[in-house]
Amino acid sequence: MSTIILAIESSCDDTSAAVLRDGQILSNCIANQEAHSIYGGVVPEVASRAHQQNIIPVVDLALKRAGVQKEELSAIAFTRGPGLMGSLLVGVSFAKAFALSLDLPMIEVNHMQAHVLAHFAEDPKPEFPFLCLTVSGGHTQIIVVRDYLEMELIGTTIDDAAGEAFDKTGKMLGLDYPAGPIIDKLAQTGQSVFKFAKPKVAGLNFSFSGLKTSILYFLKKQVKENPEFIQENLADICASTQSTIVAILMEKIEQAATQENIKRIAIAGGVSANSGLRKALQTLGEQQGWQTFIPRLEYCTDNAAMIAVTAYHKFQRAEFVGQEITPLARYKID
Amino acid sequence: MLEYIVKTVADLPAAAEKLLEVAGARKKVILLGDLGAGKTSLIQHFCQLLAVKEQVVSPTFSLINEYSYWDKTEQKEKYIYHLDLYRLHTMQEAIDIGIEDYLYDDNYCLIEWPQIIRPILPEDVLEINIELMEDSSRKIIFL
Repeated sequence: MSTIILAIESSCDDTSAAVLRDGQILSNCIANQEAHSIYGGVVPEVASRAHQQNIIPVVDLALKRAGVQKEELSAIAFTRGPGLMGSLLVGVSFAKAFALSLDLPMIEVNHMQAHVLAHFAEDPKPEFPFLCLTVSGGHTQIIVVRDYLEMELIGTTIDDAAGEAFDKTGKMLGLDYPAGPIIDKLAQTGQSVFKFAKPKVAGLNFSFSGLKTSILYFLKKQVKENPEFIQENLADICASTQSTIVAILMEKIEQAATQENIKRIAIAGGVSANSGLRKALQTLGEQQGWQTFIPRLEYCTDNAAMIAVTAYHKFQRAEFVGQEITPLARYKID
Repeated sequence: MLEYIVKTVADLPAAAEKLLEVAGARKKVILLGDLGAGKTSLIQHFCQLLAVKEQVVSPTFSLINEYSYWDKTEQKEKYIYHLDLYRLHTMQEAIDIGIEDYLYDDNYCLIEWPQIIRPILPEDVLEINIELMEDSSRKIIFL
């Protein structure tokens, strides 16, 4: 008999539902895209009320696209954390009610573990052990992945996330939020001619707050001398910012690879869409003889497919939870 | 009103002590200041002062970070809520994420970019402005 899992993700801005059969993703739907485009694609609706409005339609859509009846399901999975409590509660409560009414087992999933396991949504899949650099608006982590559910966090940001460094620099440059994709596009037409101080953080941890301040001082000084400085040098400032952020990430992942003696390197999270990061990983990977892995963007940003993949491995270990389960705003990966 | 000058990061622990002292019994604090002014840094040192165990990081994306500490006066575990409303645009959005739960209890709540929720802030909220000076020192103004 097939194992069919419905998975729900509602930890932050988007409500998502996915259906998986025997390890294969059948559907992966994200609500809110339309709402986003009405606002010009820049205003995320973060209200938990929006999750409440979206959850039934998005589950319905995921089941329809998968061609699966709810009676065929083997289990329901949901994101338990980390995330925004109000948002998590919607997904967890929905999963509980759904499980009760259909008498299904429930599987809880750690959102950060799921980002790593997004690599198993489709081929090519990394072999164990591998290193995963998860970079998004809210996270910057280096994780040793020894098995599907056996991970160790060996590096993390001590202040801002990498994605935030992009967004806040964009704000200083007068770009729209989130600025990451805009900076990436502008960077491709510029040269990395400005040098910003890279933070000195011991071990494998990251810091991006100092870089933000360093860029701020630089811009203030330049604008004082030439009020048109930003407009005249926008592409070069973007290219310099991007190459500095990417260099910081690459330095630490190289250090981690040496320390752990692992040559399989994966990246995950929304920032892995950045073309500079992709190129740098590829180049460094060729130099170092690494095998590198970057999932399709659909599986990099927050999505329920990664929750389903994680739940599939928990299903095989019969790791189910009861109705007493509660969400966790903070939830460690290891 | 009270002004406090922070010349370098080495002065931040003392500034955090000042914040704790000025706040007194008040637990709700808003922090204003431009990007890079040092709002999160000041909160990091404030949390260090209260011996918070968790890593204190920017809540810009997560909106709300929750840290725990041992309250010596009350002899029990209490929370510090670290909020950042930078990504939000309206008071309704803030209400929809449940912000009132954090504004009206007896735990510390430190809020960056609080402009959109002015009308629903408690009356005795402590307002802090951080200004970036010409010589890159910071002037912290407790209002």
